[in-house]
Amino acid sequence: MALDEAAFNDAYRAHAGRLRAVAYDVLHDPAAAEDAVHSALMRVWSGGSYRADRGALLPFLIACVRREALDTVRGSKRRHLREVKVAADDPVAIDETAAIDPIEARRIRLALDTLPEGQRDVITRAYFGHRTLLEVAREADLPLGTVKSRLAAGLRRLHTVLSLGAAPS
Amino acid sequence: MTQHLDDDAELYALGYTERERSEEIEAHLATCAACCERVAAAESVAASLSAALPPMPAAAPQRRTWWPQLATAAAVVFAATTALEVGFVHGESDRVQRTDVALTALASTHFAHTTLTSRPGLTVKAIYSRDGAWVYVVASGAPAGAHVVLRQGAAQRDLGALDDGAPATLFIHEPGRGDEYDIVAGGNIIAHGKPMY
Ligand SMILES: [Zn+2]
Repeated sequence: MALDEAAFNDAYRAHAGRLRAVAYDVLHDPAAAEDAVHSALMRVWSGGSYRADRGALLPFLIACVRREALDTVRGSKRRHLREVKVAADDPVAIDETAAIDPIEARRIRLALDTLPEGQRDVITRAYFGHRTLLEVAREADLPLGTVKSRLAAGLRRLHTVLSLGAAPS
Repeated sequence: MTQHLDDDAELYALGYTERERSEEIEAHLATCAACCERVAAAESVAASLSAALPPMPAAAPQRRTWWPQLATAAAVVFAATTALEVGFVHGESDRVQRTDVALTALASTHFAHTTLTSRPGLTVKAIYSRDGAWVYVVASGAPAGAHVVLRQGAAQRDLGALDDGAPATLFIHEPGRGDEYDIVAGGNIIAHGKPMY
């Protein structure tokens, strides 16, 4: 099997870059982000948790890395990271021009626009605004359970919208 | 079977479940195709969301040493991929960061791994390419001089001895395919497992 050198190069850069971006977004610390990527890969490697019926590999790895990073923040050993995170006054919007994948970023923004406001608000505050779900609940004056159910419902709806390919125009 | 995941499928995909709950979820996912599908859907959305994130700032500080065994395993796996054939690694290996190597190895769907059945205190993992081009065996707690044997029907091929590292490892090119990997020490099979090509 021949492999185009440039294509290969691009592929690994894109994947590794995406995983670092995901970890860095949560941790705001390059070294801690690298650690989170390594730990997540180690966990995947040794745990054998990936199976083909879990879907494509990259989304699975992205989820593993984000979970690892959030576990790090939730854990007590990295308290300074938690303080940085809580103190951050993050914008709650997508900046497509700075996005790692501007075309996909536009697609997701348009898809988010189709959600009921309550669902969109919870997703953007939590994901792009770096709030914990408890912080989202406090800011939006909602019970934590409502935040969780809106987040889940919003994600399911996004999946439908994205798989219909209805977003770009 | 434990309960289906419900909203936790999406919360888990976004990393909002605590470690302990995540482990319960993973145990459930191992047995439930419906929840797997739901989590996979949520993970694909989470991946799309991550496309809107900015890249990590370029000037990352010096990488620390980490998980040497993963690095070794990944490097070996990487070396065994077709990437080598196109010369990508030649002359560029200094530039290839360990993370990228590990990721590339993981991102290749052409290999699989299995944990061998063994006695307590011995853990053996075989990482192998599906086409039989290579196998990498990693063993913790193996006695000195243990060999890896590949069985195919009545035939068997001694692939060689594990090294004396911790963990002990063995990398073999072209083992071919077989029905079972055995770890043999003192004439006894101390671990065995079937590859799934
Ligand atoms: Zn289920």
